[in-house]
Amino acid sequence: MSDKKNKKMEAMVIKMLRQERADSIARARAAIKEQNSVIKAIKEVLKAGPKTIPEIAGAVAMETEPVLQYVSTLKRYGIVGEGPKDGDYFKYELLS
Amino acid sequence: MKSKGELQFDAVVIGGGIAGLQSALDLGDQGYKVAVVDKDATIGGKMIRLSKVFPTLDCASCITTPKMSSAAHHENITLFTYCSMDKLDRENPERVVVKLTQKPRYVDPDLCIGCRKCEYGCPVYVSDPEQGGFNMRKAVYIPFSNAIPQIALLDAENCSLCGKCARVCPTGAIDYFMKPEKFTIVAKTAILATGFELSPMDQKPQYGLGRLQNVVSSMQMERLLAPHGPYNRVLRPSDGKEPDSIAYVQCAGSRDKSLGIPYCSRVCCMYAIKQAMLLSGALPLADITIYYMDIRAFGKGYEQFYQNAKAMGIEFVKAKVAKITQGDEQTVKLRYEDQEGDGGVMEREHDLVILSLGIVPQWDPEGICNVSCGQDGFIQSSMPKIAPTVTDLEGVYTAGVAAGPKDIVDTITEAGAAAMEASNYLKGLGQAGQGQEETAEAEAGA
Ligand SMILES: Cc1cc2nc3c(=O)[nH]c(=O)nc-3n(C[C@H](O)[C@H](O)[C@H](O)COP(=O)(O)OP(=O)(O)OC[C@H]3O[C@@H](n4cnc5c(N)ncnc54)[C@H](O)[C@@H]3O)c2cc1C
Ligand code: SF4
Ligand code: SF4
Repeated sequence: MSDKKNKKMEAMVIKMLRQERADSIARARAAIKEQNSVIKAIKEVLKAGPKTIPEIAGAVAMETEPVLQYVSTLKRYGIVGEGPKDGDYFKYELLS
Repeated sequence: MKSKGELQFDAVVIGGGIAGLQSALDLGDQGYKVAVVDKDATIGGKMIRLSKVFPTLDCASCITTPKMSSAAHHENITLFTYCSMDKLDRENPERVVVKLTQKPRYVDPDLCIGCRKCEYGCPVYVSDPEQGGFNMRKAVYIPFSNAIPQIALLDAENCSLCGKCARVCPTGAIDYFMKPEKFTIVAKTAILATGFELSPMDQKPQYGLGRLQNVVSSMQMERLLAPHGPYNRVLRPSDGKEPDSIAYVQCAGSRDKSLGIPYCSRVCCMYAIKQAMLLSGALPLADITIYYMDIRAFGKGYEQFYQNAKAMGIEFVKAKVAKITQGDEQTVKLRYEDQEGDGGVMEREHDLVILSLGIVPQWDPEGICNVSCGQDGFIQSSMPKIAPTVTDLEGVYTAGVAAGPKDIVDTITEAGAAAMEASNYLKGLGQAGQGQEETAEAEAGA
């Protein structure tokens, strides 16, 4: 089969798979949208300098618990790093 | 990926935790061909997920990884990860037939080089149970840095099918169309080493049904203490505060008839003491309290371990915790009956509370394999005193926590015993291990 035909076949089967998994794909897309907006907001806040979890949460108007989950995830993927300690809390800073 | 069809081995080990791995290594070293089957995407069981281990305080990963790696590279051992077991039948004295389903990883294991480019590229974040749910992984991921095999898997439930992972994968390993694949392992003997899980967090209304902030399970605490844990240090999950005051609630899921777990889970006193010691090293200024019914320090050197913890300043309060509620400022309030000192009902608040949950079997053989279990659900030994690894199915043995709660030392001992039983069984069938055949031939020739 030619490359062009191959590509066409591939696109067709992917389309079928997308139909089959329509529900989970819709959920995943909604999650990406929500997650991207939270991450963007957290990164925006951290651009002004290192902050603790309660400070970030206050700035993005979210509960502290999910903010810590996001920040520790961003730390895992090398986007955020741990900064100096401030009282009982650590500050987090933007790395990339 | 090659199709597996029907595969022949001398022995099949179900479960690749420390029990299964030890049994497989002992049989493999004797020259027997062994298959190790695990339902997880990695071998290593609970032990690879622990921080350090009592009573030696060795780093769990440092002593588990070499065993995992020896099994993975052993010429006589073949690993089958991410497989669910549909049936295990002892057909006749020389045939154990195990029907399995290879769950789809959506990643070709023969092509994946474990580079994690797919994981970094994937746009979906998913709460990661491997890190106690405290942080997130991606929809395509490698379970953790010392997982074996180091092969990615794709979580189709959370995948947006955006195609990014396939585009960035350097080896073309991503395969969105993978399907579950049935295959069969035929062996002469089997070892069931299916281990345990913790009793659920949401079992007890008095303990907040798993909904209270800063109340975590003992396994979640292992992750918080682990070097590659979710925060790389111990923090209060509700807001990232470094905790000043930490408490353990013992027997939170054991010795409790109302939960259907009347037995003692054996290891909880010791792991709570271990974690408390590690915490006092990590957070020297924190107050650490263990609320206990009685301390069961059953093994060699364990009583000394307990006494050392007391000498380190860890507070032991003999009390049954009756109720756990949310306190002020994200603290956790414990209401308990003090059984020493002035006695009576007391209340105290802590930043972080750990529930020492009960140990329950991870696998229920019902409908899959007709091996007998006791009332507690653990696999029953037909000769508990003189041959504890022998089950009521001929040539089928059990080892580790699958047979009842126990620590790593006892698990390893039992795994060795199960391997010895299996090897004797094989010899009885006239089947010597490869190495032994060679020795016998050499001796005959001499
Ligand atoms: C919080 C905590 C801390 C602990 N700390 C210590 C310590 O410091 N020192 C110590 O000595 N002990 C400790 N223990 C006890 C220790 O974890 C166990 O003794 C040990 O892990 C038991 O190993 P196992 O192989 O029997 O079970 P597991 O580790 O549970 O392994 C079982 C394996 O079988 C697989 N499996 C299950 N069902 C199936 C199936 N149907 N098909 C295929 N595969 C299956 C699982 O995926 C798993 O890989 C601790 C326990 C807990 C809960
Ligand atoms: S196809 Fe799925 S797993 Fe792959 S990058 Fe996209 S969302 Fe992630
Ligand atoms: S699937 Fe591809 S990108 Fe992902 S770890 Fe394997 S080789 Fe790397």
